[in-house]
Amino acid sequence: MDTLSQPYFHSRGHYRPGLLVLSLLLTTLLALAGCGGSSSGAETTPPNPPPNGGVDDDNFSYKGTNPAATADVLKFQTELWVKIAPENRCGSCHNDNGGQQPTFARGDDINLAYAAVIDNGLVDLGNPSNSRLVTRVLGGHNCWAADPVVCGDIITTWIAAWAENTGTEANSVVLTPPEERDVSDSKSFPDSPGAFATTVYPLLTEYCGSCHAEGALTRQQPYFSSTDVNVAYEASKARMRLDNPGASRFVQRLGIDFHNCWDNDCAASATAMRNAIQAFADTIEPTVVDENLIMSKAVGLGDAFVVSSGGRIDTDLIAKYEFKTGTGSIAYDTSGVEPATNLILSGNVGWSSAWGIRIDSNGKAQASVGESRKIYNQIRVTGEYSIEAWVIPDNAAQGENDNNPARIVSLSGSATERNFTLGQYNANYSFMNRTNQSDADGLPELATDDNDERLQATLQHVVATFDPINGRRIYVNGEFTGDEDPTPGALLEDWNDSFALVVGNEVSNNRVWLGSMRFLGIHNRAMAPEDILKNFEVGVGARYLLLFNVSELINVPLSFIVFEVQQFDDYGYLFSQPFFTILADPETGTTAQMTGGVDVEGIRIGINGAEVMVGQVFANLNTELRQDQMVEGRQVLSTLGTVIEAKRGPELDEFFLTFDRIGTHSYERPEPTVPTPAAPADVEGQALIGLRTFAEINATLSTLTTVPSTNAAVAETYTNVQQQLPTQPNMEGFLAAHQMGVTQLVVSYCNALISDTGRRGSFFPGFNFGAGAGTAFSSTGRDQIIEPLLEKLLAHEIEGSKLDVQADPDELRLELDQLITRLVNGGTGTTQTAMATCAAAFGGAVMLLQ
Amino acid sequence: MTTQAFISPGRSAGWRPTVHRRMVSGALLLVSLFASIAMAGFREQALQIHNRVAGVPPSEAVLLQMASLIEGGNVAGAVEVAMDNEAFYSVTLKNMATPWTNREQTVFAPLNDYTATFIGLVRDEDDFRKILYDDVLYISNAGGLPAYANNNNNHYEALETAGHSLKNTLVRRDQSSLNGLPANATSGVLTTRAAAKAFFIAGTNRAMFRFTLLNHLCRDLEQVHDTSLVPDRIRQDVSRSPGGDSRVFLNNCIGCHNGMDPMAQAFAYYDYEFDVDADPEGINGSIHYNTEADIDPDTNSRVEKKYRINASTFRYGFVTPDDQWQNYWRKGQNAALGWDASLPGAGNGASSMGKELAHSRAFAHCQVEKVFRNVCLRRPTGADHAKLDEFTDSFAANDYNLKQVFIETADYCKGP
Repeated sequence: MDTLSQPYFHSRGHYRPGLLVLSLLLTTLLALAGCGGSSSGAETTPPNPPPNGGVDDDNFSYKGTNPAATADVLKFQTELWVKIAPENRCGSCHNDNGGQQPTFARGDDINLAYAAVIDNGLVDLGNPSNSRLVTRVLGGHNCWAADPVVCGDIITTWIAAWAENTGTEANSVVLTPPEERDVSDSKSFPDSPGAFATTVYPLLTEYCGSCHAEGALTRQQPYFSSTDVNVAYEASKARMRLDNPGASRFVQRLGIDFHNCWDNDCAASATAMRNAIQAFADTIEPTVVDENLIMSKAVGLGDAFVVSSGGRIDTDLIAKYEFKTGTGSIAYDTSGVEPATNLILSGNVGWSSAWGIRIDSNGKAQASVGESRKIYNQIRVTGEYSIEAWVIPDNAAQGENDNNPARIVSLSGSATERNFTLGQYNANYSFMNRTNQSDADGLPELATDDNDERLQATLQHVVATFDPINGRRIYVNGEFTGDEDPTPGALLEDWNDSFALVVGNEVSNNRVWLGSMRFLGIHNRAMAPEDILKNFEVGVGARYLLLFNVSELINVPLSFIVFEVQQFDDYGYLFSQPFFTILADPETGTTAQMTGGVDVEGIRIGINGAEVMVGQVFANLNTELRQDQMVEGRQVLSTLGTVIEAKRGPELDEFFLTFDRIGTHSYERPEPTVPTPAAPADVEGQALIGLRTFAEINATLSTLTTVPSTNAAVAETYTNVQQQLPTQPNMEGFLAAHQMGVTQLVVSYCNALISDTGRRGSFFPGFNFGAGAGTAFSSTGRDQIIEPLLEKLLAHEIEGSKLDVQADPDELRLELDQLITRLVNGGTGTTQTAMATCAAAFGGAVMLLQ
Repeated sequence: MTTQAFISPGRSAGWRPTVHRRMVSGALLLVSLFASIAMAGFREQALQIHNRVAGVPPSEAVLLQMASLIEGGNVAGAVEVAMDNEAFYSVTLKNMATPWTNREQTVFAPLNDYTATFIGLVRDEDDFRKILYDDVLYISNAGGLPAYANNNNNHYEALETAGHSLKNTLVRRDQSSLNGLPANATSGVLTTRAAAKAFFIAGTNRAMFRFTLLNHLCRDLEQVHDTSLVPDRIRQDVSRSPGGDSRVFLNNCIGCHNGMDPMAQAFAYYDYEFDVDADPEGINGSIHYNTEADIDPDTNSRVEKKYRINASTFRYGFVTPDDQWQNYWRKGQNAALGWDASLPGAGNGASSMGKELAHSRAFAHCQVEKVFRNVCLRRPTGADHAKLDEFTDSFAANDYNLKQVFIETADYCKGP
């Protein structure tokens, strides 16, 4: 059997036809016969094997006559055969007891079982998910779970485990040309806004115009409600879906986001908007794709190559959730480690078409206590573990910062009892773990540093590890956060085997975590930092290679520009890292050779017959396609990526590329016409005059009193009251508090003036500050006080007449005179009365207004 | 009293507010103050100009001098008299610029090198556009002040506390001679200590761009939002699917970042450095610039680490390699900002980017608008818009001397 060992696997993991003649026969048989198939070749599917609940790997073992002849056969035996050979799996048919061909589950001789697998090409060790064993099950052939995808994933896991040490390379994909399709027609926006103006525009102007227009007081981009219909039309295009009006941004903002609906009825608002867009779309005849565009051939995700998620380090994975099922209430554990710890979805939990679940209020995904016991058992054996997840927190403001985080993943019995919990509070990840140094709640917690704000409301890879040496550690996006466990050296203790694994909430349903989970793995080892980084780099979700045929454009047969594409979330696709490649002719095996280079400029992505409007990251690309620049058959064109809005969904959306220039073809892209922006809104009724603001008041009082603003007492008062003074000149904002601030400051200035003998002498010439109030404030004395104040204010008669915009001097004199009378009659002293008069004159509107 | 009282020129002289007679100060002296604002003459215009331009009332002599000038048709001369008042510099200009120098946009902040440089450029009637790109800084030559320092604001605070004249003591210096930046790394107020402390501190340096846009082009990012531009320069730290919803990125985030990120790249070599443990607020920090000899250990280039943070948020985003900036807003709706056709629209470093902004029509118009609000005490409306365009033209024709804008605006809003 040595002849079947590693040398026969080339780097892409494919088996070369070996020496066993048997192989040809078996290949044919496999194609014709499934389990229960007949000799006629017609497939009938027998009842499924019993569910896996009864499987106990420990009790099933190889008892054949010959031991594994090679290390690889032994690896096959331990990693794959022992999992698929039991009678409740493939062993019930594909056995050596007169069973169905191929007999890869036979138990008489492991080497023959191995030969059956290899010779029939049942596995692709380079790309386990591409294995025949997997694709058969995925096609509906006797999965033992309700969802064939689950069995496919589990078998993939087993094959991957076998492949791990066979020297094969993960992710080596042999590309083959997809079917050639031209870009199909679709509706596109007419140049004129005419139909728009009578359908959608009226709704926009009526209900959105108070913000989304340049003329609005609270103007807010985009200006799709502009008074200029051309402006509105341009701004609206990206927000209307002609192919599916209900999916338009306008409709979704109303119907889903409840964004400023009218008549307090979002459903009706959304319907009205959808109907308007539908009416607009109905006026447009489907147009042929703009024939001026230079286009590649079209492809859909159905034509794409699925890139294996190989490369992940799953050596010690004991529970794994990829959330692929997409419907129903079970998220399957596809780790392949028995028994499966499946999660039951309850409450407000939705599926994401991009593989994942979304937890909303009162939602959770929880396993039964019995199935959760696997986690307990597996971790108790090793005394260490890792929780690995790809999450998208809804926000960075949930959870409580009192050892009570929102629960992302938990193995717990109540809100206060747990084995472990990975949680969130605000922008932090929190990790609780029950040890000999913790309480029953797993406290003290380990949390990421507040200042680091590690948790962001975006797709993140988070791994929480525990081992007795390093204690707890948290890794975000492949990087150790550096936060140290407050209880290093602790050991797992008092773990409870009756706790349940739960995602997105506490088992008691009162610590919900809002967000999406796209992957969850529990490992029964503390993952090594390099393994965590590796798993982060592999990413999450389905990844495809989309091959865009440019052969006709550059006259090189089977030449392609290839994008890696992922369904990024429910609403968009990620297009990234385009490369150029030339494929070999499948019939002749020869690859066309280019002579020289081909210029390429401005690549744009199109979907369903029209270029995408937003997110054209590659539109500035300017490079040369050259065969001699290829490494391993690929010329990388860009390291960038972009998100493109999904239109009809992954099954229906059809993509193509356009080019501003490629080879001898070029497209003069017309510059979009940019309407002149409208003038901002007018504000009616604005005052023509205003208040002096804080610093102006200070400077003005300094000017009026001649006391420098640096005077210590004045400066201190100003420091105290400056923030109490008006900061804006508009009078609508004038408050009583402002006046109180002014009063304090003016009293301080007048006090400084009156207290300074020299200064007051110059300011109030002739006034006798030494006399008693009754004497000093004679008729002359009153003039000596009042007139200098009015002169400073320019509120006196200047060259014989008062200023027209100024207060009436006589009325001011009268008011101040009456004030003095009241003060003197009340027994106020001379300087105090003078000071009060100063403050009254300088602290009023004559000073304050400008 | 109501606002209506102040905007109704026809109020009779007999109108009086009802006030408590025992109030020592207050509004009681307002009596008939604005009784006949509609009939204002030269002296009244002089008073209004002085109040609005200098922020303080004139003396009687100055009032009469200005009135005489106005009467003689020399309004500019009258405004110049007002601008000769110290308060024009220490109050009007200082408070106009102070909110530009901090993120809170508060007016209650001490004098600093940003505001002093603004005041100096206006006083010296220099090409005001230099504020965003020249090797210039103003300090005071008054005695007894601590020297200009990179790691504190003491020089300016002492200047303000001592009450020295800004009009008379501010002197122009090469910024590079004071803060140690290479001359070609200086960029007017953008590279002052105050601006660095406010906008280069922590973060991603986008703040410097955003606040410059806000303060000197009178537009926040909201007003330049355009989702149609090519988003190939948006950095890796911007989530393309906030909260798991890529529509948010495609409809919102992208519209600002596609233009901002390639512009803010001009600041890739700048940082504000401080001891985060001993001085968490960065009170004593200073601006830092990576010269050709300074290689950041995290980026292995002159690019500051902050330009590559959170790279895993979207690994296919743009990785900043240098300080090459590009103005994507020259195309699309933001072409309406009026970019200078004689400039290339791309370059390296802060200074050329500052010039790109300062040479736009929007920059000039923004200065006019700010002066208008300061002098006329209101938002431009109706016929004002055409006037502002006219002032902007005149600003350009007068070599971007901001005093000219004050003159014309004060004339326009001097009252009838």
